[in-house]
Amino acid sequence: MNCGKYQSQCNDYLDGDLSLREREKLKQHLKECLPCYRKWSSLQKTQEILHQLPTLDPPEHLGAVVMARLKNRRLRQPLWFSANLPRWLPLGVGAALLFLISVVLWEVMPSQYPWQSLFPSSRKNVATTTRPAEPSKETVTIRKGDPSSSAPVMVLRVKDFSRADQELQSMLRSFIRPPLPERESSRSPHTRSARLFQLQVPGKRLPHLLRELHKIGHLDQSQVESQELANPGQQKQVSIRIVVVSNGSDVEIRQLREGR
Amino acid sequence: MGTESLAQHSSSVKRQEEQLLVDRCRRGDRDSFAQLMRLHEKQIYNFTYRMLGSEGEAEDLTQDIFIAAFRGIRSFRGEAKFSTWLYRIALNQARNRIKYLSRRKYFARQARRADHGASAVSESPEGLADSAPTPEQWTMTKDLAAQVQECLNQIPPQARQILVLRDLQGFSYDELSEMLSLRPGTVKSRLHRARAAMRECLSGKLE
Repeated sequence: MNCGKYQSQCNDYLDGDLSLREREKLKQHLKECLPCYRKWSSLQKTQEILHQLPTLDPPEHLGAVVMARLKNRRLRQPLWFSANLPRWLPLGVGAALLFLISVVLWEVMPSQYPWQSLFPSSRKNVATTTRPAEPSKETVTIRKGDPSSSAPVMVLRVKDFSRADQELQSMLRSFIRPPLPERESSRSPHTRSARLFQLQVPGKRLPHLLRELHKIGHLDQSQVESQELANPGQQKQVSIRIVVVSNGSDVEIRQLREGR
Repeated sequence: MGTESLAQHSSSVKRQEEQLLVDRCRRGDRDSFAQLMRLHEKQIYNFTYRMLGSEGEAEDLTQDIFIAAFRGIRSFRGEAKFSTWLYRIALNQARNRIKYLSRRKYFARQARRADHGASAVSESPEGLADSAPTPEQWTMTKDLAAQVQECLNQIPPQARQILVLRDLQGFSYDELSEMLSLRPGTVKSRLHRARAAMRECLSGKLE
C-alpha cells in the first residue's frame, strides 16, 4: 500500500486534478486506511476553514492616503521601457562600451607582459622600406622615457643623421637590460624588458631609422603603422612612440603614433 | 451566447478597460491610477493582511505596494495581466516587510499575545479546552479566524504566500507560476507542503 502516493493525491483531489478512475481508487484507499483517512479529513477541513475566512474591506481612507503620498512623487523614467526599446539594450550598450575600452587599453598598453605575445596585435603590418640611407644635416631629436610615463627623461639632439643612427643604437643598447643579445642567444622570459622611445624625425627619414632599428634590434616581426611610411617623401615631422621589448632575442615596436 | 462565452467576453472587456487605464497612468494620469487602485485594493489588502496578520501593518504595506506600482508603471509592458504584475510587486514588498518585522521580533510578539489570549480563554469556566470542536464541528468563529491567522503567521513566509494566493485568493497554478517565476510543478509541490504545515498547525491547535 503506497500511502505517500495517496496522500499526495488528496491535494490533487482538492484541486480537481484527479481523473474519475484515480478518484475511485483514492476513495477506496481512504475507506481501508485509517491514518490516510484522518489526514484527508483534516486536510479537507483545513481547506474549508481557509475558504470560510472572511474577506476584509480595506480602510475607506486607503485610496486618499495613497493619492496624497503620490502627490509629490514622479514616475520613474526608464528610457528603454518608455521608448519600447528591447530590455537587453542597456546590457548590450554596456557590453559594447566594455569592448571599446578593452580595445583602447590593448592598443595603448605596452607589450611588457608575457601573455600579450599570445595574441597577435590588431595593427596593420607595414613593411619597412629599404631605401638607401641619405646623409643629412637635419636635426633629429631623440627622447627616451619610461613606458609607464609619457614624460621624456632625456633628449638627444644631433646634427648629423648618420650620427643619430649611432646615437640611437647606443641608446637602445643602454636601455635594454640585459644588454641586447645576439640573434643566437637563447630566449628567456625572465629577461624581458620594455622601454619607450619618443623620436621626432622628418617623415622621409623614418624608413631609414626603422632600418637601423631593424639592424640593431632584430625587428623582423615588427609591426609599425604610420601614414608617413606610405608617403616617405613628405617632410613633416612625425612623433614616434616606440616600446622596445626584449625577451632575449626579440625586439618589437609596439606602438607608433603620428604627431604634428 | 452561452454563459461561459459571456463570461469570457466580459473578462476581455474588463482587461481592455484596465489596459486603457494603465496606458493613461503611464502618461502620468493620477485619476486613472486611482481607478486602477479601486479595482485591486481589496484583493491586495486581504493578501497583505493574511501575510502580516495585522490591519495596521497591512494598511501600510498596501500603501507602499500601490506607491511602488505607480512609480514603476512604465515598466509594465502589458505582456502579463496587470494583476499579475501588481502581485509581483506585492510579493516583493511583503517579503521585504516580513524580513524587516522578523528582525524586530514582530511575529514572536504576536504569537505570545495570541498564547496569552488563548490561556485566558481556557482558564474561563467555558474554556476552549472542554468545548474544543472536533474537525467535523469546526465552524468559522472570530476565535477560529484568529487561530487560523496565527497558524498562517507560524508557517514559513514562502509557504504562507503560496497558500494565501492559491487557497484564499484562488489564483490558478499558471498564474502562480508567473507571479513567483517558478515552474508549475514546483508551485504544486510547495503548495502541498504549505497545506500540510497548515493542517498540522490547525490540528494541533483545535483538536
